[in-house]
This record gives sequence, structure tokens and C-alpha cells, in this order.
Amino acid sequence: MIELSELRDAAQKAFPADELIPDRDESWKLIAEMGWLMMPLPEESGGLGLGRDAVTAINLELGRVLSSAPLVPALLTVQAIGASESLVDRDSWIERTCSGEYVALNLLPGDIALADAGTLSGTLPAVPDADMASHVLVFAKGLSALVPLDAPSISVSERKLWDESRRLFDITLDNCAVDESLMLARDDASHDIANRLHGELQLALAADCLGGANAALDMTVEYLRTRKQFSRPLAMFQALKHRCADLKTHIAATEALLWSRAVDADASVTDLGALKALAADVYRFVTEEAIQLHGGIGLTDEHQCHLFMKRAMLNLSLGGSGDELKERAGRQALETYSA
Amino acid sequence: MTEGKELEGLRQEVRGWLDANAPRGWRESYDNHEAFAQSQREWFAKLVEGGYAIPHWPAEWPGGGRSLAEQKVIYEELARADTPRLLLSFVSTYHAASTFFECGSEEQKARYLPKILEGETWCQGFSEPNAGSDLAALKTKAERKGDVYVVNGQKVWSTMAQYADKCLLLVRTSSDGPKQAGITYLLMDMKAKGVTVRPINQIQGDQEFCEIFLDDVEIPVEERVGEEGQGWAVAQATLASERGLTLMELSYRMQGALWRIAELIRKNGLEEDAGVLRDFGHLVTRIDCTCAIADQFLQNRIDGAERVGDASLVKNTYSRVLREYSLLGTRLGGIDEQYQAPITFGDLNTGNWMADFMNSYAWTIAGGSEEVQRNIIAERMLEMQREPKDWVAS
Repeated sequence: MIELSELRDAAQKAFPADELIPDRDESWKLIAEMGWLMMPLPEESGGLGLGRDAVTAINLELGRVLSSAPLVPALLTVQAIGASESLVDRDSWIERTCSGEYVALNLLPGDIALADAGTLSGTLPAVPDADMASHVLVFAKGLSALVPLDAPSISVSERKLWDESRRLFDITLDNCAVDESLMLARDDASHDIANRLHGELQLALAADCLGGANAALDMTVEYLRTRKQFSRPLAMFQALKHRCADLKTHIAATEALLWSRAVDADASVTDLGALKALAADVYRFVTEEAIQLHGGIGLTDEHQCHLFMKRAMLNLSLGGSGDELKERAGRQALETYSA
Repeated sequence: MTEGKELEGLRQEVRGWLDANAPRGWRESYDNHEAFAQSQREWFAKLVEGGYAIPHWPAEWPGGGRSLAEQKVIYEELARADTPRLLLSFVSTYHAASTFFECGSEEQKARYLPKILEGETWCQGFSEPNAGSDLAALKTKAERKGDVYVVNGQKVWSTMAQYADKCLLLVRTSSDGPKQAGITYLLMDMKAKGVTVRPINQIQGDQEFCEIFLDDVEIPVEERVGEEGQGWAVAQATLASERGLTLMELSYRMQGALWRIAELIRKNGLEEDAGVLRDFGHLVTRIDCTCAIADQFLQNRIDGAERVGDASLVKNTYSRVLREYSLLGTRLGGIDEQYQAPITFGDLNTGNWMADFMNSYAWTIAGGSEEVQRNIIAERMLEMQREPKDWVAS
């Protein structure tokens, strides 16, 4: 059994804190070499059989360096493939995806319609790094399947994000035929996979948020400790200390819930969504304050402070809005806490 | 998992016991101080008898030796059954007990711990008018005269001192050297000659805190905990219990009482109001965070992995979330909450959200204010430089 602290150390060695937004393609190679793509699959299907806390630890570390590689969606599609009972050549798919072939996934709900003829049409928004993917995992009513991105009925377009650490694509399917051999699941089984992936996505995004929030706070505190005005380090001013202490408190409390939910098999998708909503709020707040506390230099493109803020803002949207996730949590709590 | 089954068994056991024994109508009965104190004493005695009063004490005590997971189950069920918090025995079962377990002599343990279970109550005489956040600046003076210390001075913010039998008292035995080094820890009988207690009228119309005036009070030397001049270290044991175990109980109690908010939402017909649901969902998640960080803190302490400042993170999380919780209740309760409730002791679940809101300040101010905790977090965890110590009035 690999200890979490070993994984964390390995991740920090591979992705040092002072190299933000490491090159995507180099990172991807390294991620595959480290075996991280195999983490969530059980050992009998060729995986490492590591728990959700291991995946969380890696996602948190990669959030810290604003990783530009699509590990989050890749780990979800690897799990979907692992859970499939109908995919032809599933073992070889597992081998391919675990060693670096990337199957992409949309991180916001799509509007894919299934025509009577069995073809798929519609748009999958917010697909990370579709340019390096061989296939995309598509969920439609009653089915899920892998669709090759080189099919003529598919178009892929990128819109440039404020968040320079990520690339998102819209994938449009126009009467795209589904290859029966690439079918992952149908009906309930497909719905179960979608549901599971949705929960895992929320957990992964929460980890990304808290990794980034920790790094942004570290960067800010370091700046305040070094920058001098009025003949003393800015960190000496209590007004600034208290703001940093509050940021630390918010991060620590939310991170405690992250670790507890990561090992809680009973945590519902709604619980994980509520965690993500809060973690994204914390990330937003920390990075908003980080720029203010850096002062003018925080507004320059040259300083890296803004990179965290932009990623935090994107994270607020990915996986569903906080409003929606919190409302769901409130509805669930209304049931749970009946007198 | 077998542990899961055992815990479920405990839950059912506690639930069954509470069905038969939980006091009903206690809020209505708290309409005068005598009735409050009487009801608190009876409930404590019943919990001792049932074996649920001191789950955090060591195993040799009846009802003690519970694992953290078991303690949590007990606190959750106590809150779920809407039982009153043990306000009167709070300091005795946590602060006094931790102090005895960690620093008390064998004789002191034997003399005082069984009495706590019989209902003897303690208060804490730490803060003074000019020693609040700067506790070590305390001035209450104790002079050794033969076999006794003669104590003169004033204490303040002593919770429930008007009901207390005994007091955990910090005094100054020396003015030489660093201010912490001249502090000594004494156990005082509240009925001793020269002790005067004056309850303080608080903003919520009640008197939870008191002033204690000490006028030539004689305290026998054997009532000292630790050596003379070691009081600061002993006080840390007292305060550590506050920042650990008590906050776990309170966090799980806050979570266990969430049905009160849910009930308000239903009563107001707001089950489909997206804004209210969002605020409720957010609060529930913040409370889940509070429980998680309290858990993590205690686990780290057991594993010997506690870091300086961890306790401050827990305290500032709990106290802020308690404020958020009481504010949401006050908002949802509307005008009803603006009518005074007869007795408002306690920091949550008094039955009046406005009172709970006002009580919540006890946690952002007492036990080391939120601002002091922020300094600890900033200076000792984040390593932000301290301000120069000396300040000269111009």
C-alpha cells in the first residue's frame, strides 16, 4: 500500500512548486510515467487499486502548480472504461488509456440528442484538451459511448480562456454514428457511470481548488514577508496578518472536509458537489485577496498571482455552478434533518 | 465494517435511553434561575447514571473511555433528541477534569474527580479587568503565609460562577522575571470567606458571566496545582481541553440540531425557495467542515501530530460557523425571534435564535478572542513577522 505522504512527495518532486503551469505535453508524459492514470482502477484490471484519497492527493498537488495537463477528465474516463461491461477489447482500452492515450470528457452538461436512427447530435461544452484526445466519452439518453474525434461528423473548436493554465474545447456532433464496439453502457448501467463520474469530478475539482488556494496563500504570505514599506515587512501589519489568518482558516476547514469526504464511501454526489461549491468559493476568495494583498504588482501580467485568480474563477463554473450545487445540498439536508 | 455495526449499536442504545430519559419541556421550565440550575443538576445526574455524561474521561471512570467515534455518536444523539447542554457542569467535566488528569496530584484527583460526578461544579477564575487577551498580565495577588495563600484581587468573565462550588484560580505569586513565570494555579472554595460573586447583566438579558472579588481569601497550600510559579503551564492544560474536546462536542451538537433550521424552513413554507435552500446548503457544508476539522484536530493530537496554531484554526472555524448558524435561524425565524425569551443561557439551541446569535459572541470573544487566534495563526503558522514588542506612550 502506498502512503499518501509518499505520493505527495513524489508529486512535489515531479512538479516543483516554483514552476507554475508546467508544459502540458511534458507534464502528460510524466503523469503517464508516474502511473497516476492507473490509480483508481482495481489491481485485477491492471490498475493500482488506490483509493479516492490517493487521487485527491494528486489532484491537490497538481492544483498547486496550476497543472495544464488533463489528468482530472482522464482519470474519470479511465474509470468509466474500467466500469464498462460492453466495451469490446476493454482490457486493451485500459492499457492504452493507462499508458497515456487520452479519452476526453466534457466538464459541463452537454445537450446530446439520440435520433431514432441511432445517431448523436449536439454539443459537448468545456472539454479539456480535446486537441490531444483520440476519443471523447459521450453520454446521451440511455447510453454512453466512446466517439473518435477524427470522425467527419465531429467538429472541435477552441475558445481562448482567461485561465491560461487550461484549454477548453466545444465538441459538436452532427448525426454522428455510434460504433457498437465502442459502447460503454446502456440504460441504468450508463446512468450509474454518469452519476459516479459526476461525484468524482466534484471531488477532483475541490482538490484542485484547495491545492491552488494553498499555493496562492503561500505566495501571498511570502510576498508580505519580503516586501518592505514604512521600514518594515508588510507582514508585520496586523491588518494584513488577520486577513491572511482568515484565509488560512477557511482553507484548513474546507480541506478537513475534503479529506473526510475523500474516504467516505457514503458521501453522495450532492455531498461532493456541496464540497466543490465551498472549495471553489474559498479558492475565489483567497485569490481575490491575494491580488489585493500584492498591491499593484498583483495586477501585472509579469507576476503570477493573477494566474491563480483566473483558474479559481473558471473552477467556479466547471462541474456546475455553486448556486445549483448549494441548492441541491439544501434540498438534501431538508430531507436528512427532519425532526 | 465491524466498527460501523458497533457504532450503530451504540447509537440505538443511546437513542433508546434518550427516549426514556430525555427531559421534555425544559426550555419552558427555564423561566427562573433556580429552576434552570435545578433542571441542569437533575439532567447531569441522570446522564451520569446512564453513563453518557463523561464519555471523554479515561476508561476507569463509569461512562468514560469512549473512542472519538463513540463520543461523536453520543453528542449527535444528545443534540438530535434536543436535550439541554450541560452548562452548569461544563467547566467541571472538561476544564477542571483535564487539569486534574494532566497536572493534579493523586490526592487532588481522588478528592475532586468523584465529586464532579456527584454534581460539584467548577468555574474558572482566569481573566481580569486588565488581563483579557493579555492573560499573563494578571495581577490578582497571592501571598504565602504559613500553610495558606492569602489572595486579593478581581476576576471577571467567570462563566456560571454564581452556581459554582469551586474555582480554578490563576494568581500572581511573584512579579519578578517574565510575567508568565510568576503565575500560580490554585483551587478555591467559592464559599470561602472573602469571596464575592457578582453576576454581569449581558446583552441577551441574562447573567452567564460573573465578576469574582477576592478579599483576603485564604487558600490552603495543598490546593495548589503544580509548583509555585508553574501556573501558566497548568493553565495550558485547562485551555487545551477547551480547544479540543469541547469544540468537538459543540460541533457535533450544532450538526445534530440542524433539524431546527429545517423545521423553520418547512414552517415558513420555503421548501422550494432556491435562495433559502442555497443558504441552508452552504451552512450545512460549513458545519460539516467544522466537524471535520474538529475531528482532524483531535486525531492529530492523539497521534502526536498537533501543530502550533491548529487549535486556533478549530476555534475560529467553530465560532464563525456558530455565528452564521444563529444568523440564518434569526433570519428565518423573522419577528418571532425579536421577542425576548425568558432564559437564554447557552450558546445554541436556547429556543430563540436572536438569543443564540447574541450568545455566539461568547465563542468569538472568550477563551482567547478571534483576534488573538488570528495572531497565533499568522505569526506561528504562517510565520508572518511579529510587531516590535515595546510601545511607549507619547
